[in-house]
Amino acid sequence: MTSVASPSSVLNIDNLALHFLGQDSVVEALKGISLHIDKGEVVGVVGESGSGKSVTALNILRLLPRTKTKIPHGAVSVLGRDVLTMGEKDLQHVRGGEVSMIFQEPMTALNPVLRVREQMFDVIMRHQKITEEEAERLSLNLLADMKIQDTERVFNAYPHELSGGMRQRVMIAMAFSCNPKLIVADEPTTALDVTVQAQILNLLKERARATKTSVMLITHDLAVVAQLCDRVYVMYKGKIVEQGLTRDVIGKPQHAYTRALLNALPEGKKPKSRLETVAASMIDGADSAAAPVVVRTTIQAGFKLYGQGQPLFEAVNATVSYPKKYNLLGRAISFQTAVDHVNLSITEGQTLAIVGESGCGKTSFANSIVGLVPLAEGELRYKGKNLKDHDDLTRREVQIVFQDPQSSLDPRWPTWRIMTEPLTVGKSPSRNELRETAAGLCEMVGLDPSAIDRLPHEFSGGQRQRIAIGRALSVHPRLLILDEPTSALDVSVQAQILNLLLDLQEKFQLSYLFISHNVAVVRHISDYVAVMYMGKVVETGAADQVLSRPEHAYTRTLMDAVPTLERAFAA
Amino acid sequence: MAGHQTSKPEGPVAIAKAEGASLNPLDPIARFNRSKLKQYTNIEIVVASILFIAIVILAVFGAFLQTHDPMQGDLMARFAKAGEKDYLLGSDHLGRDLWSRAVAGLQWSMACALTANIINLFIGTTLGLMAAEKEGWARTIIRQFTDTLQSFPFLVVAIVVVVIVGHGFVPLVFTLGLLAWVVFMRVVYAEATSIYQRDYVKAARIAGVSRIAIMFGHVLPGVRASLFVIFAFHFAGLLIAESALSFLGIGAPLGVPTWGNMLAESRQYLLKAPGMLMVPAGAIVLAVITMNLVGDGIASLSRKRGRSIDV
Repeated sequence: MTSVASPSSVLNIDNLALHFLGQDSVVEALKGISLHIDKGEVVGVVGESGSGKSVTALNILRLLPRTKTKIPHGAVSVLGRDVLTMGEKDLQHVRGGEVSMIFQEPMTALNPVLRVREQMFDVIMRHQKITEEEAERLSLNLLADMKIQDTERVFNAYPHELSGGMRQRVMIAMAFSCNPKLIVADEPTTALDVTVQAQILNLLKERARATKTSVMLITHDLAVVAQLCDRVYVMYKGKIVEQGLTRDVIGKPQHAYTRALLNALPEGKKPKSRLETVAASMIDGADSAAAPVVVRTTIQAGFKLYGQGQPLFEAVNATVSYPKKYNLLGRAISFQTAVDHVNLSITEGQTLAIVGESGCGKTSFANSIVGLVPLAEGELRYKGKNLKDHDDLTRREVQIVFQDPQSSLDPRWPTWRIMTEPLTVGKSPSRNELRETAAGLCEMVGLDPSAIDRLPHEFSGGQRQRIAIGRALSVHPRLLILDEPTSALDVSVQAQILNLLLDLQEKFQLSYLFISHNVAVVRHISDYVAVMYMGKVVETGAADQVLSRPEHAYTRTLMDAVPTLERAFAA
Repeated sequence: MAGHQTSKPEGPVAIAKAEGASLNPLDPIARFNRSKLKQYTNIEIVVASILFIAIVILAVFGAFLQTHDPMQGDLMARFAKAGEKDYLLGSDHLGRDLWSRAVAGLQWSMACALTANIINLFIGTTLGLMAAEKEGWARTIIRQFTDTLQSFPFLVVAIVVVVIVGHGFVPLVFTLGLLAWVVFMRVVYAEATSIYQRDYVKAARIAGVSRIAIMFGHVLPGVRASLFVIFAFHFAGLLIAESALSFLGIGAPLGVPTWGNMLAESRQYLLKAPGMLMVPAGAIVLAVITMNLVGDGIASLSRKRGRSIDV
C-alpha cells in the first residue's frame, strides 16, 4: 500500500538524483528517489551504510558542499516551496525554523564551549522575536517536556557535564524549540545504550504526536523503525526499493533486498543456526566473501581438547580498578572499580556472552584477560592454572578480536604480514612460510587467498574483521575473546561474520567469550550469558533462560528496552 | 570460492572501472598508471622539485660553477655591478665575486643545516618515541625537559653556547643540533601516542611482540610521513637560524663566505652597493621558499596517498 504525495505534504522529494564530484570521478549517491512526508507522520528511511539515506537527509537542508555535488534532476520542496532554488537567506529561515535536525553524535552536534543555555537561546532568538526571559521560560519548559528532572542544572551545564542520553534530550528539545514542521533525525540513538535508546525514542514519538510534527527517522535498525514509524522507505544503493506502511513492509516484504535484510537479522532465528546472508551481488563493492568456509585442516590440525566438562577458563573474584586521583608524587590514591569481583567460567567449545551497556566493565574485563590491564584482585585461571603462571605459548591460546576493524589492522601492512604477526614472535619464519600460512588462514576465514598482498584499506569492513579473526587464529587459540565484533558492521555483514564464527567454533571446538550490547546477537550465538551492570555480574545462566526469563531487575529493564520486530507488532 | 574479482561491478565500482583505473591493486600497470602520476603531481610539486634539484646541483657541484675564487678579492674591481667585467652578480667591497660567494655560502649553509637537521631528527624522534611508549617517569622527565628547553628563546641560548664554545662549523652544527629538536619530539610524541592506543598495537602486544618490534614495526612507520614533512620545514628554519647567527657574528668564522656573513658585510655599503645585500638575501629567501614548497609537496602527497602507501 502506497500513499500518494499530496499538496499538503510537509516534505516532497521528487525523482531526486545527486552526484558527488571527485577529482576525476563521479559517484552517484542518489539515483532518482521520490518520497514524501505528510503532516504529523513519522516516516522511517532504512538502509545500510552507503545506501544514500544520510545524503538524502542532508540535502533537504542543503547541507552538502555545493561545489562538490551536482543535482542532475529532481526537486525537493518543504511546505510546497522549492529548496533547491532557494537563496541562502531563505534557507536559513527553513533550517531550524521549519525543518530541524537531530544528529547521531550529540557530543559533536553541541558546541563544547557553550552552555546549553546559550545554545538554546541562539536557536530560539534567531527564529522567534521574544525577550530573553521568555526564551528562558520556553527553554525550561522544553527541557521539562523532555522528562528532564533537574532542568535548571541541565540548562546551565556544558555539554561535557551531561551524559550521552541527556545531551540527546537537549538536542531534541532544541529541535522542537521553534515549532518546526519537520524533524529530520539521522540515527539519533545509534550512539546510545539500549535502555537510553528506548527512552529517547519514546520521547521523540510522544513530542511529535503532541505537537503534530512530522519526523523523518533515518536508521539502519529495522526494529527501531518497526516500533516507531507509520511508514517506511527502504533505500539501497541510492534508490528506494520498497515503501509502504511499516507493518506491510516488514511483515510482507516484496523486494528481494528487504527480505534479505530481514533474514540477516539474528532476531527470531533458531540460535546457532546459519543466518541467511544478503546475496553477494547485492552487497556493494566488496564483501562478497560469503562463500562457505573451506578449512585446510593441516593448519589447525592436532588441537587437543582440554577435557569436556572442566572449565577451560575461569575468573575468580576478578577485579580491575583504574586510578582516579594521584598525589603529588604521581602515585594513585583513589581508585575507580571497573570490574568488581567477577566469577565466570567457560567450558571447551562453548560460548559465554557478556551483555551490558557502555561503562559496565565488560571491555575492561576482556582487557584484563589478555593482559592489557592488570588485575587488582582475584585470579584468572586457564586450564586450571593461573594464566600468569603459564608459559608465553600457552598464554597465546587466549586471543582477542576487537570491535573496530578500522583500528585493529595496521594500515601500512599487507594482509599476510598482519595475519602472521603473532607467528614472528621469538622465531623468524621465512617470508614464504608466512605467506603460505596467511593464504591458509585466508581460506579459513572465507577470504580469497590471493588477497594476501593487499593493504587493509582495500577491504570492506566485514573483510577486515575476517582478517582480524584470521590473525587471532594464527596461533591456534583455544579461547577467543570477541569484543563487540559485529557492532561496527552492517546487518548483512554481521550475519556473515556470525556464520563464520559459528563455523569456526564447530570445526575447532573453540570457546568464545562474546562481549556485546546487542541482545539479539547474543541470543543467537551464545550458550551462556552473563549480564554485567556497573562492574558486577548481576545474572548468569543458560542463554535461553536469562534472556527469556530474566530474574534480576536490571536484566528485565534491559530486555524490555530492546526494540524487537515482534514486540512492535504486538503493540 | 567467489573471489571478489568475479563479482559484478556495480555503482561506484562501475564508474571507477569506466575511468580506466583497474581495481586490482596487484596489477603493476594499475599501480603506476598515468592517471595516478597525474593525480600526485601539481604545479607546486613541480616547482618545488625544479628548485630543489637546482639547489642540490649547486651544493654538490658548486666548485665547478664558481667563476671566481670566493675568497680572492680584486681591489681594482670593487663594487662591480651585476654583469660588469665577468662578475655575474657583481662584486663586493673587496672586489670578490658575489655569485661565487653565494654558491660557497650555499654549500656552507646547506651542510650546516642538513647536519643539524639530522641530529635534530634523531634526538627528537628518539625522545618522542620513548615518551610515547609508556606512561611513567621517562615520559615525565622527557616532557618536562622539552618544555623547559622550549621556554628559552632559542637564539639567545644559541648565542650563549656559541660564545662559550666558540666559532666554527662544528660548534654551530652542534648548537643547532642539540637545541632545535623540540618540534620533532612534539610531533613524534603526539602521533606515536595515538598510534600506541590503536587496536593493532594492542593486538601485537597480546601476541607477545616485543616493545622494540612494535616501535619499529608499527609506530615509527606510522610517523614517518610526518617526519619527512617536518624535516623539510625545519630545514628552512635552520637555514634562517644559521644565517641569523652568522649575521650576528657568532656563527661562521669571520671571512668565511656564508649568507649571514655576506649580509653582515653588506650593512656598511647598503646605498653604494645594494647588490651586496640583495644577493645573499635573495639566496636565503629562495632556499627557504624551496624547502617550504618541498614540505608542502610531501604533505600533500602523503595526504593524497592517504594511509594506503608509504611515503
